[in-house]
Order: sequence, then structure tokens, then C-alpha cells
Amino acid sequence: MKNTLNTATEQVTPGRTSGAGRLLITVYGVFAISASARAGYQIATQFGEAPVAYLLSAFAAVVYIVATISLAKPGRTWARIAAAAICIELLGVLAVGALSLFDAQAFPHATVWSMFGKGYGYIPLLLPIVGLWWLYRHRTATAK
Amino acid sequence: MTVDGWFIAGMIVGLASTIICIVAAVMKKKPNDLTLVSLAAVELFIVVYAVASIIRLAMGASIMGETWEFWGYMFTAAALPVAGFYWAMMERTFWSNYVMSAVGVTVVVMMARMAQIWYGTGLSVQGLQQGIGS
Repeated sequence: MKNTLNTATEQVTPGRTSGAGRLLITVYGVFAISASARAGYQIATQFGEAPVAYLLSAFAAVVYIVATISLAKPGRTWARIAAAAICIELLGVLAVGALSLFDAQAFPHATVWSMFGKGYGYIPLLLPIVGLWWLYRHRTATAK
Repeated sequence: MTVDGWFIAGMIVGLASTIICIVAAVMKKKPNDLTLVSLAAVELFIVVYAVASIIRLAMGASIMGETWEFWGYMFTAAALPVAGFYWAMMERTFWSNYVMSAVGVTVVVMMARMAQIWYGTGLSVQGLQQGIGS
């Protein structure tokens, strides 16, 4: 917790895991847990019904887990991993969202990213945008 | 889903905790007795709900959905306030209150899912689309 030394101004957050970053990591953590639980449940009980959708759920869960861990770890390498994971997340939610909207037949079974994350209050759509913005803002802090 | 007293009580406790924590965070306050007690109330509620659920099952009630799924949600919901508390307290700023505010509302969504599992949804696949924890 080297960042806790900065108590002079609470507005300026020096590190990725500090301040608002902790909230971001919290939300990613909640999504990592819920997406994993959901994917695990779907694959355990109804895998035969829609293997593609449920494998996609599992993929989304892995992406959220990687994003959560890499956001929480300090250093440049972890920032790169986080950026990659969040880019994949953004592409995933946009691609699956668009496909579920225009070709509903292809996605009869819901995933986290269906309809741009409508079932999850559109948080899956907003989260990668906020995440990338957060990483961009803290790129110098991570380069040290 | 069937809305019962447990869900209403859980919703009140959870949302109250979220609102208290957000208001405190907006006021740029660090976690204080009020926000910590609100988080503890969420934890206490889940513990009471778990014990009551065991008693209800022992008295002959039954879970419509998957039993292990219900207890999976219960365990996760019980772990959330504890995890949120540690994660918030590792760096004590007003942001800690935002972190803690995420716990209450997440528990409410999980309560909704637990009510669906307990009473059955009738639409098992559609039911999975609802809620953050599904």
C-alpha cells in the first residue's frame, strides 16, 4: 500500500488501485464472481441446450477474473494485461450485444453480454469504457 | 418471482446501506460508525436469513429450485460484506464508502435470485436473465 502516503489531496489518486480504482476493482470483482457462478451453473446443469452461449459465458467469466486481478496488481505489465482484458471485454459486449439484437436466433440463451448487458443494468457496457479511461488516466503512474 | 417478507426486509436493509454509504461518500466522509453499522446490518440480516432458512427447511418447507444454488448464493451474500469491509478499509478514504455501497445493492439482487430459487420462477431459462447473480 505504497499509495496511502498521498493524503494531501484526496482528489488526486496516484495509483491504479487507489481511490476510485478500488470501486472499479470492486465492481469488476462482483462481475467476476457472478459471471463465474452463472457460467458454472449453466455448464453444470444445461450445457447441452446451448453450448456456444454457455462457453461464451465461461469466456466472459475468465475475462472478468483476469481484468479484476490485473487491475488490482501494481506495475506496468499488469496494466497492459488489464488493458488487453478490458479491450476484449469491450469487443465482446459490443459483438455479442449487436448479434443478440440483430440476430436473436443466434443467441436464444442469455449471456452476461446479451443485449449489451441489459439484464445487468447495462453495467457490462459501461464497465470496459470506464476501465479503459481509468487505465489511460493512470498510464504515467503505472510507467514508473 | 414471489415477493415475501424476507425479500422486502432484505431489500430495505440492503438499499438503506447502499444509500447511507453513497450519501456519506458524496459528502466526502471517510467510513464512520453509521456506514460501518449499515454494512454490519446487511451481514447480520444474511446470517438471520440463513438460520431462518435452515429452520424453515427443518420445519418441512422445501426449495423449489436447486438447493446447492440457493446456498451458493447465501454463502456468497454472507461473504460480500466481509470482503467489502476489508477491501474498503485497506485504504480509508471517502472512496471506501463507495466500495461499501456496492455491497448492499448486490446483496438485494442476490436476495431476489434466492427468492426465485426458493419459490421457483416457472420460467427457468428466462429467470436466469434477471439479476446480477444469475
